[in-house]
Amino acid sequence: MKSIWKNYRTDTAYDELMCSEFQSRAVSHQLCQYLDSLKKEDIDKRKVAAELAIIEMGISFTVYSEEGNIDRAWPFDIIPRIIDAREWKIIDKGLKQRLTALNLFISDVYGDQEFIKAGKMPAEIISSSKNFRKECIGVKPRHNVWANICGTDLVRDKDGVMYVLEDNLRVPSGVSYMLENRVITKRVFPELLQDIDVLPIDDYPTHLLDMLSSIAPNQSDKCTYAVLTPGIYNSAYFEHAYLAQQIGAQLVEGNDLIVNDDDCVYMKTINGLEKIDVIYRRIDDDFLDPEVFRPDSTLGVRGLMRAWKAGNVALANAPGAGVADDKVVYAYVPEMIRFYLNEEPILPNVPTYLCSNPDDLAYVLEHLSELVVKPANESGGYGMLVGPHSTAKEVEDFRKIILKDPRNYIGQPTLSISTAPTLCKGKLEPRHIDLRPFILQGKNTFVTAGGLTRVALKKGSLVVNSSQGGGSKDTWIINMEGS
Amino acid sequence: MLSRSAERLYWLARYLERTENIARLVNVHMNLLMDLPKGVEMGWQQLIMINASQEEFSQKYSLANERNITRFLLADYTFSGSLISSLSAARENIRTSRELLPDEAWEQVNEMYLFAKNNLETVVNRRQRVLFLKEIIRSCQRFTGLLSGYMSHNHPYRFIRLGRNIERADMTSRILDLASLLLSESRSEEVRQYEAILWMNILKALNALLMYRQQFHNKINGDDVLNFLLRDDNLPSSVGCCISVLSDCINKLPNNDDLPKILIELQAYVKGIDTIHTSQEQLRGILDELQTQLGDFHNKIADNWFLTT
Repeated sequence: MKSIWKNYRTDTAYDELMCSEFQSRAVSHQLCQYLDSLKKEDIDKRKVAAELAIIEMGISFTVYSEEGNIDRAWPFDIIPRIIDAREWKIIDKGLKQRLTALNLFISDVYGDQEFIKAGKMPAEIISSSKNFRKECIGVKPRHNVWANICGTDLVRDKDGVMYVLEDNLRVPSGVSYMLENRVITKRVFPELLQDIDVLPIDDYPTHLLDMLSSIAPNQSDKCTYAVLTPGIYNSAYFEHAYLAQQIGAQLVEGNDLIVNDDDCVYMKTINGLEKIDVIYRRIDDDFLDPEVFRPDSTLGVRGLMRAWKAGNVALANAPGAGVADDKVVYAYVPEMIRFYLNEEPILPNVPTYLCSNPDDLAYVLEHLSELVVKPANESGGYGMLVGPHSTAKEVEDFRKIILKDPRNYIGQPTLSISTAPTLCKGKLEPRHIDLRPFILQGKNTFVTAGGLTRVALKKGSLVVNSSQGGGSKDTWIINMEGS
Repeated sequence: MLSRSAERLYWLARYLERTENIARLVNVHMNLLMDLPKGVEMGWQQLIMINASQEEFSQKYSLANERNITRFLLADYTFSGSLISSLSAARENIRTSRELLPDEAWEQVNEMYLFAKNNLETVVNRRQRVLFLKEIIRSCQRFTGLLSGYMSHNHPYRFIRLGRNIERADMTSRILDLASLLLSESRSEEVRQYEAILWMNILKALNALLMYRQQFHNKINGDDVLNFLLRDDNLPSSVGCCISVLSDCINKLPNNDDLPKILIELQAYVKGIDTIHTSQEQLRGILDELQTQLGDFHNKIADNWFLTT
């Protein structure tokens, strides 16, 4: 192997592309051979081309800082991450199974609560969850599906097993970056994608539209769709605009909409008011409707909950779906799968200690320096403790935080999450990655072929969030049959 | 179509048209000054008179020379009428209306903006400025072409045409305003000698010279140019033609209330301008009135269709 691989060390973590320092995995053989055939200058040129494409395509995300909001170019690593289609088939099945069970659970939570009555989960977990919305009790969204769009984070531990790290059921983001990453890869490595049988991903918008039309209250051809965004200052605004464009929906902000006395939602157009049937909302429950939730919200629409409960508008995801997007509830997903589907979970959970449970709490406090401790309801990698990477003081400070509110913390063993070769200053080095596939559920269920691979660009770092120095890679599901 | 989107597309088109106009104006003016002999009472300050920004300029710069004026008009982020301000406003508007336009539209405007931003410092140098302006003009033309070739002629398209043509009519009238000022009775003998060159450059500033030559087979003279730029039915930058386009769009838009009627009146006003018998003084009054009416018409559009009123 030549210069760019010089000193490539696969450490204790599982490497997605290499089985040893010198040997590529079967699935990545073609890619590695190809990379070997390139000169260092060629690789640099392609990296520059990718960066240029990102700036020109305007792929950005917004970071909030004290100096104001900065639009940053999306950090992208040109070396794709590869998964064998045979393995993916199982993951795909596991993700569908999981979301199906989660949706049955949410319906149950806002319905008869059979799961709790059967003693599978203490009732306090729901009643104390800040994402449980009592306003949703008794509502029956179409197909009984509450979480229509789910982004599930997967990580591979050193044993090579893919674990589910969390289910994002509120307003998961990242799918536009997944799509744009492939567009860039096609520009940067056109010859490679020609030769290798990579599963396509660009059908996502079609499936998204299919799903949205399947939940429309009025099953006619003439539906009006809208993507509801908090506006240009939201970190995911690029994605909201992108998705609206891809599915031919109106991109609306709260003050474009109005709920009239007939409990229908209308948008303010040049023709006057026009009725909206389906809203893909990218605003958190809290801000959705000042009439019901936070009264100071200027992002939402007064009366939206009324319209939704009256069945005059479909909301994806349904309000209240976030009750299952809670790291405490997460621990019960394997049990949900057994309870509702009478199946064994295909994808394992990471072992989880619930601090609400006294035995678990004692274990967590005793092993703080080994564990990862996360708040139950945060996203974006904020407010968590990575024990092995923290100072003694940080550990002690966190101990106090947990003790103040044990219900809201969970502990998990620090996984040695897998790595993939990443271009760092002209050389390939292993960097930790995760994977967020996107699952759509309406009348049917659909899983993206792959997903968004996020990479922690800092050496040794395990934090992949774009807001905290993470980047991303294109994800290739490769069909090996016939090759 | 959302009222918000109508407003954004309208402004997108206005700002891009303005960007192109500023670029063309500076370019032509630079050429004009190269043609005129030294000592003629024409200089760079005429450029800032066109959009009535003398006051703002003098607050920022002490000397009205080429360097300061081109910097002010092209590269000054703090002057809302500058090329870079218009272009970044256009970019903000398209960034928030991507879903209504063909795929490449956003990329084109974004690329143009990045080009301008990265080359702003070069505009002080004359040779580099020529290249800069050429690229901007070309990018604007490319964008207009993209839309006319690939965008459905739907309501969003109509709001784009509305914005573009109001801005265009406004600019044409401002340029004629400047011409009438330069050609006023008090002008010196020396300027009179160069009248034909001035009129030629006015046509160039509106990219109308060749079209003029095809229509009028004589020496370039003020009456014909005025006639052509105000009342011609076929020249896209003539005020009359812009008003026809406005009518065409307005008539196809919903809830147009009394706007078609206002346009008919405005068109009659323009067609009724007697370019031969009006004095320069009267002409300036007529052009000022025209600009006021265009401004009122803009307010009508906003009242009728936009969200923020």
